[in-house]
This record gives sequence, C-alpha cells and structure tokens, in this order.
Amino acid sequence: MNSIIKLEIQKKTFKKKGFSILNDFKLEVEPGERLCIIGESGVGKTSLLNIIGLLDTQYQGSYKLFGSSVKDLSRNKLAEWRNQKIGFVLQESALINSLTIEDNIKLPLMYANIEKDLTVQDHFKRIVNKIGIEPILKKKPLDCSGGQRSRAAFARAVIMNPQIILSDEPTASLDLENKEKIINLLFDMNKEFNTTVITVTHDLDVANRHERIITLERNE
Amino acid sequence: MKILHFFITRIFLKRWTLVLGMIILLFLANYLSFTAARSIISTFQGYQEIETLNQEGTFIANLDPNSEADFDRIEIDDTKKVYEYLNKNYTYAMQVDGFVTSLYNKYKMEVSFNYINEEAYKINQFRLSQGNHLNFNYKFNKEEIPVLVGAGLATTYPVGSYIEITDPVTQQLVNLKVQGVLEKNTHRSNFYAPNSKNYFNFSIFLPINEEFIQSAGLDLLVNGLMDMVLLDSTKEKATNLSELIQENLGLKFNFFNQQENFNYFEDSYFDSLKIICIITFILLLIIVCLAIWNTLVSIRLMIKDFTINLLVGLSYSKLRAIFYSYFGILFSINLVILFVITAFNRYGFWLKKDSIFATYGMFGLISMDWIALLIVLFIDLIIGFTIVELTIKKIKSIPISVGVLK
Repeated sequence: MNSIIKLEIQKKTFKKKGFSILNDFKLEVEPGERLCIIGESGVGKTSLLNIIGLLDTQYQGSYKLFGSSVKDLSRNKLAEWRNQKIGFVLQESALINSLTIEDNIKLPLMYANIEKDLTVQDHFKRIVNKIGIEPILKKKPLDCSGGQRSRAAFARAVIMNPQIILSDEPTASLDLENKEKIINLLFDMNKEFNTTVITVTHDLDVANRHERIITLERNE
Repeated sequence: MKILHFFITRIFLKRWTLVLGMIILLFLANYLSFTAARSIISTFQGYQEIETLNQEGTFIANLDPNSEADFDRIEIDDTKKVYEYLNKNYTYAMQVDGFVTSLYNKYKMEVSFNYINEEAYKINQFRLSQGNHLNFNYKFNKEEIPVLVGAGLATTYPVGSYIEITDPVTQQLVNLKVQGVLEKNTHRSNFYAPNSKNYFNFSIFLPINEEFIQSAGLDLLVNGLMDMVLLDSTKEKATNLSELIQENLGLKFNFFNQQENFNYFEDSYFDSLKIICIITFILLLIIVCLAIWNTLVSIRLMIKDFTINLLVGLSYSKLRAIFYSYFGILFSINLVILFVITAFNRYGFWLKKDSIFATYGMFGLISMDWIALLIVLFIDLIIGFTIVELTIKKIKSIPISVGVLK
C-alpha cells in the first residue's frame, strides 16, 4: 500500500536553544493506520506533530504528504490542507473562549467557505449528535466542563472529514469516563472513514490501544 | 469579507479597550499631522502671496513694536500732511480692512469694508466671478462709488445693484454701486503671520483715491500707514517718510526692504516651520511606537486565538489582508472624525457670524483642508504599513505550534 506520510528528517534544529531533535528520523504511515508516538518530555513529540501537521516546515529533510513534497507547497496550500485534510485534536483548552461551542466547531467550515452548505449542515448535526454536545452548542467554552470542551475540540477536528487526525495529549486532564469517550470517538472515526490517526501521549493505556507505537528517544 | 467580519467582531472587539486605545492613538497621530500639514500649507500659501512684494524698491511699513505709540495725540491735520507728502513723492499701495458695519444680507453676517487704493488692487490681482474690476477715477461725493462684493453678498447685492450706507470712515452717506463679485474664498494673508488669513466673502471692496483720502477720518488714515507698501522707492526715501511720520504723528515706523523682509521670513517662518515639522515628527514617532506596542500587546493576548485559526485553515497571507483591512477601517473611522471636526469648525464660523473666517467649500472644507487630509491619508498608509508588517513579523516569529495551546 502507498504511504500517506513519508517523512525523512535529518534534524530539526532550535538555533536559539542550541540543540537539535529528531536526528535521522524516518517515518512512513499507511492510510487508516493508528499510530502512537510516545517518549519522555523534550524528545520532540509535539515538534514531530507540528511537522506532520504542516505547521512547521523549518527542518532538514524531506516530507511527502499524499504523494506531494511539502516543501514545494505554498503557504496558502499548506493552510488549505490543514483546513481540509488534517484535523487537530488538542487538549480541552484549544478553543476560542470568546466564541460559542458551535462557532468553535464551525471555524474550519468558515475557512473552507462551506458553512452554508446543506450537506455540511447535516454533517454538523450528525457529528454533534454522535459526540453528544448538542446541549452546549450555544454555551461559551468557559461555561462547559473539561470533558465537554474536549469533545467540542474533537468535533472541530473532524468536522471537515479529514484524512489524518493528529491528536496531542487528547486525554490529558480528563477523568476516566471522558478519556474513554474521546478515545472511542477517535477510533470510531478511524473505523468508519479509514482516517489515519496519529496520537502523541504519555498515557501508556491510551498508547497500547493503537496498532503501532513509536518511542522517541533523546539524541546523544 | 466574512473572515474579516469574524475577526473584527469575534476577536478584536472582544478586547475593545485595546481597539479603543488604538483608535485614540491613531486619531492623535492623524490630528497632529493634519494640523501641522494645514499650518504648513497655509504658511506656504501666505508666503507665496507676500513673495510678490519682495521686489527691488519695495518697502513695507511696520509700526516698530518697541515704540511707545500714543494714538490719542494724533491729529487729523498732521495725518493729512503725511498723506500730502506721500501723494506728492511716492507710489504706494494701501489696503485697510476691519471696518465692520451692519448691512443687511441673507446670512445675517457682519459686513466688513475693505478700502483699497489702485496700487494695492494691482498687487492683489483679485479674481472676479461676475462683473468688472474696480475703477478708481470716480468723483467722491458726486458720483456713486463702484464696489466689489464678496461671494456671500452676491445674492443680496448682485452686480448692478446699489447700496446706500453711511461710510464708516468718512461718516458720510454714500451710494455704492456693485460692479463685480469676488471669487469665493478670496483672501489675504497677514504680512507678518502668513498662516493667518482674512477671507473676503462678506466684504465690500471700496476703491480709494486721493479725494477719498482727503475726506477720510483719522481711523483710515492711521490704519492705512500700518501695512503701507512703498513701491519704486529707495531706502533713503523710506527713511525720510519714516522721519516725517515720527515728527508729525509720534509713531516710529520701520520700512523693510526686499532683503530685510526675506530675512525676516527666513528667521521667523522657515525656522518655525522646521520646528513644527520636527515636533510633529517626534510626536508622530512616539504615537506610532505606542500604537505598535498596543498591537503587540493585543497579539500577545490573542496568540491562542490566532494559533487556533492558523491550525484550522487561516494562512499568513489571509491574516495580513485581515490586518490591512482592520487598520484601513480604523484609519477610515479617524479620517471621518477628522473630517467632521474640520467641517464643524468651518461651519462654526458661519454659526458665530464670524464673517472674516466664513468660507465656502465642498462639504464645508476648503482646498487647504482637503490637501491636509490627503497628506494625512498618505501618512496613514505609511503608519498602517509599518504596524501591519511589524505585527505579521511578530506573529511569524512565534512558531505556530500545538504546543502554544497546551
């Protein structure tokens, strides 16, 4: 099968801090794969997620996403792919507090200019029902519980039906019940739409539920 | 447009104190540039008008500011002696205004009489919108006096109409015939303060000849000496006149020649213009720095919001367009406020019946106001460009990272 992600990093250097990470790091990911990245703090887990998620292009190496070289893509194209092909599942705090939950979820639709599309509206309703956040749609994030905010952040990540979901510590600071809900939602998406899921976590219980686990180690 | 609306209503205005602070800072920058630009334009216009007097053989009378003038001691006969001497030996330009009278007009403005002799009339080269130029060879007290009226009086006193009035300087009943109408906003700059102007929209220009001067009262004769211009003269002749005036009237007059006038303007006005420009520039710099600081504080407070937007599809080019549009809106708000204040100030002269400052203009603004607004617009473009590019540079220097959201 063709790899959806083909990444070869020689190194990622932080000039100001004077060190480099991800030295001679290689990664290939198949479509629909569930991959987990673990490792101690500071080894470059989030940096790797930034690179895979097209947020960071400042590294030595090559990266092919969906068969295209990322370095050849314009900034606008990168933004478009972040909007349409990649969903970021982040911690509960990754919501704009001045917006309602509904507006937060619909944010990617605005950038894709499809928020008025009827099929999109149906899709929105389906996602909201499935995630169980209908009662809080008109609330502001600060008026919701941590679990509700996490589910809202998840809804925003999947509203565009992305091909890849990148999740960074999606269950941090959640109780057992909410943690379970988020992981189930993530894997339901994977099963239902063959979405590739890449998760960064410290939680070994969460990690063990993925097909493949990569452990990042500190460079000597 | 939708994204811009979203950013303004849902992100920027959520921290409205920062937006208000920015509007106030930008307004200060605009107001400062506007007043400085208008003052410079006005001074430059006045300077150009006065430049025509900077000719060989031209001397402008000026009452010495250090002399102790006692106007109560001045006798009409002594003044007439001075004018007899002047008429016999000199060519001079004389223009006296400020004689206010209550003459009915549509706008209920005070009407000011402006007495002008033929030489002063030639120098001023007034332009008319209707009628003919003045003639100076009428017989005072025997014929009607041809006059020009300001644009504001043209409907009440059109060309060919007559005005019967007691002349303020001769105290005689005179019959004035309107011979022409001055163009709108005809004005004269003060010789010694070129940025200060009197507008003649509600003035009556009355031609004066030797006969009129003989009949005139003390007010006109003494005031006529104040800004009198000697033409085709010499320093020696000017000194003689100065001595004669001192002897008869007890007033010490200086007569500045071309070079002295030029030096005077150089010292007083170019230096003051330089000071205005330097102070304005320094203040502008401080205000722009404060505005940049305000923006960077906003960015720091909103970085999480920006990062989330960048994660879900916002690009830097869209963000740059959003910032340019946002600052475009802020500058437009300020320009509208500035326009309204200026128009209201101009309209205020009409409300206060302040006829020497009442002007005509598109939406109440005269040409120098529009030029100053254009200069402000240009300065706004520079300020806007500086702030937006620095802001984008700052945002780009913060790596978009999911780490920012932890």
